[in-house]
Amino acid sequence: MKQRIYWKSLSVSLLLIGFLAEGCEESASRPLPLLGPYEVNDTIIDGMLNTDTTFTAVRPFSFTDQDGNEVTEVTTNGKVYITDFFFTSCPTICPKMKQQMLRLYNDFEDNDDVIFLSHSIDPKRDSVARLHDYAEKLGISSERWHLMTGERDDIYSMAKHYMIAAQEDKLAPGGYAHSGAFLLVDKSKQIRGIYDGTSAEEVDQLKEDIQKLLNDEAQP
Amino acid sequence: MKRSLSYSIAALLLVLISCDYKPRNQGRVLYEKECQSCHMENGQGLGKLIPPVAKSDYVVNHREGIACLIRNGIEGEMMVNGQLYTGKMAGNSQLTEIEINNLVHYILVDLNDQKDPYQISEVRAQLERCKQ
Repeated sequence: MKQRIYWKSLSVSLLLIGFLAEGCEESASRPLPLLGPYEVNDTIIDGMLNTDTTFTAVRPFSFTDQDGNEVTEVTTNGKVYITDFFFTSCPTICPKMKQQMLRLYNDFEDNDDVIFLSHSIDPKRDSVARLHDYAEKLGISSERWHLMTGERDDIYSMAKHYMIAAQEDKLAPGGYAHSGAFLLVDKSKQIRGIYDGTSAEEVDQLKEDIQKLLNDEAQP
Repeated sequence: MKRSLSYSIAALLLVLISCDYKPRNQGRVLYEKECQSCHMENGQGLGKLIPPVAKSDYVVNHREGIACLIRNGIEGEMMVNGQLYTGKMAGNSQLTEIEINNLVHYILVDLNDQKDPYQISEVRAQLERCKQ
């Protein structure tokens, strides 16, 4: 009886070790996942049901940046981009998010293939002029980092499309409640990662993942 | 035997927890909770948007105004280390006199290398003057 228990626990531990070891291996060389909205297509091939899941690319959009330029999905052609939602008078998490994004902006300074899109969720107060002033004080250029505004409904539906929480909330500090997430989008406009933009550790991971995407896409 | 071990672990935990509640540490904890998201973890601020509170000439030169600044907030132009800032900081009506004292003490001593401790009498007199 005792011996049986012994074998049982031994095999459970071996299994556990196996799982753990596999986990380690996976995280080291694993390609980034595809995230975001997807379509499931059922087709019948040779009388068999074939289910195919396709992740849909980020949909077209149109916003205006701090220099009055129109920013659309065409702006992101051939670019890896990082996007988030914020507002300039945000008294809570936004400065931290902007500090972290500024770090990435400086880290990828020499790479024109990496750009940043920040949506203001406060179209009432964040005019183009105000975004311009904010960008200047942050020391960033609209060549690589677009601070964008637009129609209220377009901004909120875009947040929903990216699956980032953002809403007007009279009770929240500053009048808006939103997530501090950074989204990583690849050159085919597929969402590849979501990170907490207020956490230096997660932004370190994001930096690694951007590099990974650039390396992968550099290969033929 | 087992019982005495668990007692000593509990005692050790208590000591470790209570270490964090020294006045100096309360200042740091309050800084992390109330100030850090804008003024950043080392008090360096953010570009030309948010002024530094560490190694900041404004903090050192306005020792007798800092408690009121935290209580009532501030808006308008401000020169810090030769840079003009025009933002707005919200006040904090929740902090007690002692908390403000410990917070300012942390900012002055730890972030600005000031030697003189911040006194509760100083805070009380200051807050009395700027009561709104």
